[in-house]
Amino acid sequence: MNHKACAELLVSVLQTSRHARQKEEIRYKPATWLTVCLFAILSAIFFFAGNVAAQGSVTGNFHRIEMYADKPYPQYEYLAYRMLRHEVTNPQGQTSDITSRYSTAAIIPGPTIIMDEGDVAEITLYNSIPNPDKIDLHENVSLHVHGVHYDIVSDGTLKYINLFQDEGATLVQSYTYRWNAAVGTAGTWPYHDHNMSTHNGAEDKGLFGALIVNPVAKTVAVNQNGSIQSVPLSSIKKDYVLYMMDDTFAGTVIDTQTGKQTPVWSNPALTAQAGSNVRFHLIALGTNFHQFRLPGYSWPDPITQTLIEEKAIGPLEKHVVAIQASTSTVYLDSTFAGIAQNMTGSFNVAP
Amino acid sequence: MKPHISGSQIKTILTCLTLFTMLWLSNLALAATHNIHLAAQTLPNGQHAYRMLSHTSSEGSTPTYPNEATIPGPTVFVKQGDVLNVTLTNNTQLKVGLTPGSIEVSPGDTRSFAYAADQVGVFPYYDKDSHMVGLFGALVVDNPNGAIDSFIDEIGNIVPTKRADLDKEIVMFMIGSTFWGAEMVNGNQIPLWTNPTLGAVKDDLVRFHILSLGPGHTWHLHAHRWPDRNSKEMIDVKMLKDGVDSHTFTIKAGSGVGTGYWQYHCHLFSHMEAGMAGKFHVVAAGESGASIAGASPSGHIFLNPFTDDPGLVTFEITDEPGRWFRSIRSDILSPITKTRSLEVIPPGGSVHFIMSETNAVHTITTLLWPSGANDPDHGDHRVIPFSQTKAYKGGAILKLDVPGLYVFTCRIHPYMFGAVIVDDPATEGLDLGESIDIVTGINGLPTSSDLATRLLRTFFVATVQENWQDYTSTKPWHPNYPSVAVRISGGAVVNLKDVLEARYGQDVKLASLFKPTTPGVGEVWINTQFEKTAGKTKPGTITVLDAATWTIKRKIALPQINMNHPHNMWSNREQSVVFQTQWFDDKLTFINREDGSLINNIQIGNTPSHVITIPTNDDITVAINGENGIRIIPAGTMTPQPMIMTQLPGQTAAGPHGHWVTADGKLVVTPNVITSDIGLYDTDSGEIVARTGSGGVFPAEPHPLAVGVGIDKVYTTNLLDHSMNVTGLDGTLIKTINLIADYDPVSPTGPDTVKDRDGDGLVTVGVLPIQTPVDPTGRVVVTANTGGSITIIDTQLDRVVAMLPCDPGCHGVNFGAKQGGGYYAYVTSKFSNQLIVVDVDLNNPANSSIAGRISMVADKSVPTDDKVVSLAGMGGQGIYAIPNIYNGWVQHLPDAWKAGLTAAQQNPVP
Repeated sequence: MNHKACAELLVSVLQTSRHARQKEEIRYKPATWLTVCLFAILSAIFFFAGNVAAQGSVTGNFHRIEMYADKPYPQYEYLAYRMLRHEVTNPQGQTSDITSRYSTAAIIPGPTIIMDEGDVAEITLYNSIPNPDKIDLHENVSLHVHGVHYDIVSDGTLKYINLFQDEGATLVQSYTYRWNAAVGTAGTWPYHDHNMSTHNGAEDKGLFGALIVNPVAKTVAVNQNGSIQSVPLSSIKKDYVLYMMDDTFAGTVIDTQTGKQTPVWSNPALTAQAGSNVRFHLIALGTNFHQFRLPGYSWPDPITQTLIEEKAIGPLEKHVVAIQASTSTVYLDSTFAGIAQNMTGSFNVAP
Repeated sequence: MKPHISGSQIKTILTCLTLFTMLWLSNLALAATHNIHLAAQTLPNGQHAYRMLSHTSSEGSTPTYPNEATIPGPTVFVKQGDVLNVTLTNNTQLKVGLTPGSIEVSPGDTRSFAYAADQVGVFPYYDKDSHMVGLFGALVVDNPNGAIDSFIDEIGNIVPTKRADLDKEIVMFMIGSTFWGAEMVNGNQIPLWTNPTLGAVKDDLVRFHILSLGPGHTWHLHAHRWPDRNSKEMIDVKMLKDGVDSHTFTIKAGSGVGTGYWQYHCHLFSHMEAGMAGKFHVVAAGESGASIAGASPSGHIFLNPFTDDPGLVTFEITDEPGRWFRSIRSDILSPITKTRSLEVIPPGGSVHFIMSETNAVHTITTLLWPSGANDPDHGDHRVIPFSQTKAYKGGAILKLDVPGLYVFTCRIHPYMFGAVIVDDPATEGLDLGESIDIVTGINGLPTSSDLATRLLRTFFVATVQENWQDYTSTKPWHPNYPSVAVRISGGAVVNLKDVLEARYGQDVKLASLFKPTTPGVGEVWINTQFEKTAGKTKPGTITVLDAATWTIKRKIALPQINMNHPHNMWSNREQSVVFQTQWFDDKLTFINREDGSLINNIQIGNTPSHVITIPTNDDITVAINGENGIRIIPAGTMTPQPMIMTQLPGQTAAGPHGHWVTADGKLVVTPNVITSDIGLYDTDSGEIVARTGSGGVFPAEPHPLAVGVGIDKVYTTNLLDHSMNVTGLDGTLIKTINLIADYDPVSPTGPDTVKDRDGDGLVTVGVLPIQTPVDPTGRVVVTANTGGSITIIDTQLDRVVAMLPCDPGCHGVNFGAKQGGGYYAYVTSKFSNQLIVVDVDLNNPANSSIAGRISMVADKSVPTDDKVVSLAGMGGQGIYAIPNIYNGWVQHLPDAWKAGLTAAQQNPVP
């Protein structure tokens, strides 16, 4: 039985035990797969840690999410998250499966998770990153999220940091996080690994994604014809999630009407319909600072409530550019390094 | 005449005036005058710090300050409108000052200035020169009404707050890659030093003041969020831009998230890897919310054993040759250690690095460490090996628990060395440890082995300017080693100086200088990269040698641009403009070949290493060693275009160093230092053709540094792997040549350390190979090995067929035309001031020999743009012979230059 089969078996077991949590460290030897799998399954069934207790009660929707951390290309170093399942249960108890909105592939940036203020998510992460050489030390992969509420068991860090426990998935054990998008946490936030390979994690290898928490008010400030207008969130036609890595933009396009997410990878060409409202969700990641520009456009700065034409963004800062599409242009990082690396893509507006 | 102002208007104006006067008076009444007396002092580890001597306020109460100089310095809290009469007494040995105020105070003196706190906010005060090494503190100017930044509570309310409501205030300076903290609780200021564990009780109102000086950061605190500058925008990461910046916010500890150890850290990935993190410990009500200070410059270190507080030693990263890792207390240590780059701490002490005097990006990387330092049972595998994926600006900090020798280097500039001995005070002698592990995967190497002591000797030669070989001196070469007892394998305690002298000799007579009998053609441009001149703070000159007479024609220092570590050169086809990289900077310089004058100096990218043109179109290509690509400058222009990227988007920055271009101009070949591979890239499309893993002798980190391109093969040196990869132009690995096959690194030094072990009938050793060009005909590869040898490879055999002696730090090689036919290989060494001329025998490469030895020291008659003041002729690295006689380039020479070449030289590959 190979590790993949073991992982699949685990998935099926864990799907029936929602709060499964494993505290023992399992040492894995290829020769003892069956034993390890059995132990893991038994642990999953019997060790209901039940300590996922992010504060605040659920007033909105409940999200049940399962994701993989993958190494999608054997020949390259990239690591990426992949959506397995996303179900949403509303306060009336009605559940809908929105998994089909996501790419079935492991993608960079990872799946964009969209919640409303007041929602709670439980996210189970499975680790399918092969690492046969250093299995004892380097097997942990996690989800560390920014912005929202979670308690210490959902920090997604190693015991080395949180002095409590390793909070990530191993090859033989998943890990479940509980995120509480409490009122006051609206915004676009990064999530990323914090544990893989070192205590800093492998966010630089592609293990990152975005969480968008929509505000209760369901409005967004947009530049419409040169002035800041508060428009209904529903008027946003497209959301572009653009991670600014040290050497490239990496993107996902979300069609807000269908919720469909399309990975568009490096320095993508983005398209919009003239007159439609669109948003760029910018998150930087790496070591470089960036200067985002979209020549010909200005957008509301949430701090000063004025229109700005460029924005300095440092690693793991976020900034949302909300505009009404009018003319085609390019988006770019105008720093010296950004230009040297050709960090730019087209923004094509169809009349 | 009608009055201009009516009665009612006068009434209004008077009312207004009264109101304004009252407001002004009330402000005046509220404004306090502070008399603040600060001192600047030097701490036991050599860092400098401010101390509060006295603070009185017309308002009455002032905080209780620490009884010592601290980093950060005392936090001064005032209100907007207050006036500060600030006095600074300088108790250090260097000139220090205070900004704002812009005063400069000589050692022992006292000066004062007045400052009006007219703007609300938090501002750093600092010394303009020494702020990276401790002379900084915070000035907090609050609103007179007491209002501070609002916080957001667990149910999303943004709650207006006053300073009086706070339970605690925390000041965190982000400097280099280290947090320096202090806290204010109930009017007491408590120093927290480096990366402290900050404490708070759940629901405490805590105000953070984050400040930065120097390279920028992003501050991140786990599980907490706050309004950005009192707006409605919630953030949990905040950029502090390069230069001077600050950010203040208020949180309710554990709000919505509960108790726990929440990490705070800089979110720049390189800074995370450099150790820039700490913990914010939120405890339950009823528990102690006290913070725990981190390692301190006043704590327990070698020569300061008078405290049990954890200590910290500091290396400044500098552009000063040899002293690239300079202990900030090296004036005190060097009489004992005989180097400025060695520190000693007890187990549990910390090492701190700060890139305070360099214009380059670097990494702080363990080259070797005591075996077991990365064993989770007693060491720390999360810390050792220590390195960063990508070069950066900042610093580093780490705690070392396991006794023994640690050597740090920079992956970009691998001759930068800093060493730390973690010494167990209970044992006799300084602990070098039983054995060491090397980053290449050599584990358990006894400290008594030849390789261990050879590396130590290399360390003492490389880091000490006085230990470099001066060929203008008649005295024998006498490197100084510390005469200290060290504990090595088997618990043996030996005198380090005695061991090194016994093994490697002392007072060695240097070879005599002589000119080659056959002249060369044209000029040889040599980067004497460490030579220092009067008009610059940065080192480096170009030494121009007349190959016809073997005399120095010119020295070019370019003081007007403070040219910094000139490393490698090439020229245009006309041979009229020389392109010069500045390896410890981000510049490419254009120089007029004829008169040595500056044409232009442009920003090109971090740490540009090598430059070469594309022979078919004369475009310039520059390897951006500190980053991830080859920058292109179209022929005849000085405007860089975007790079040929050395890796796919999002992959680890490859850090290309000594690249080359194929004679047909189609491929650029790069040794990718950071990613340990040889890259082949299409010069037209910029696409990756192949990336081939390099090395092969040892398991890891081969450190490919330079390539030579022959007719159909690429030769790549692996510095730390002591090997040469031979690959095809499609990237296929053909062969790996082990350059140390004849060397026994493990045994103690003896007669058999070097002998014919591979059975080829020759004794050849190439330790730490660097530049490795193939001659224009493609027959011979000449390699400079920094361990002190030149190896000759016959490309028909792809074997080493000869070894010639070289100097410590043997580094650069390039070919130039020999008058009447054939080629000279010119060889430079970093830690000497001679150029070695190798007569390359193309018919029988094994017969290649040293044809001459030329001093790189100029006499007074040599034209120069600046006066040489020290390290004359030292630091030989890049070489460029004019005319350029390489196949592909030689064909494009102007006729005047071709005239000096034979027919064979004009067409080397018929």
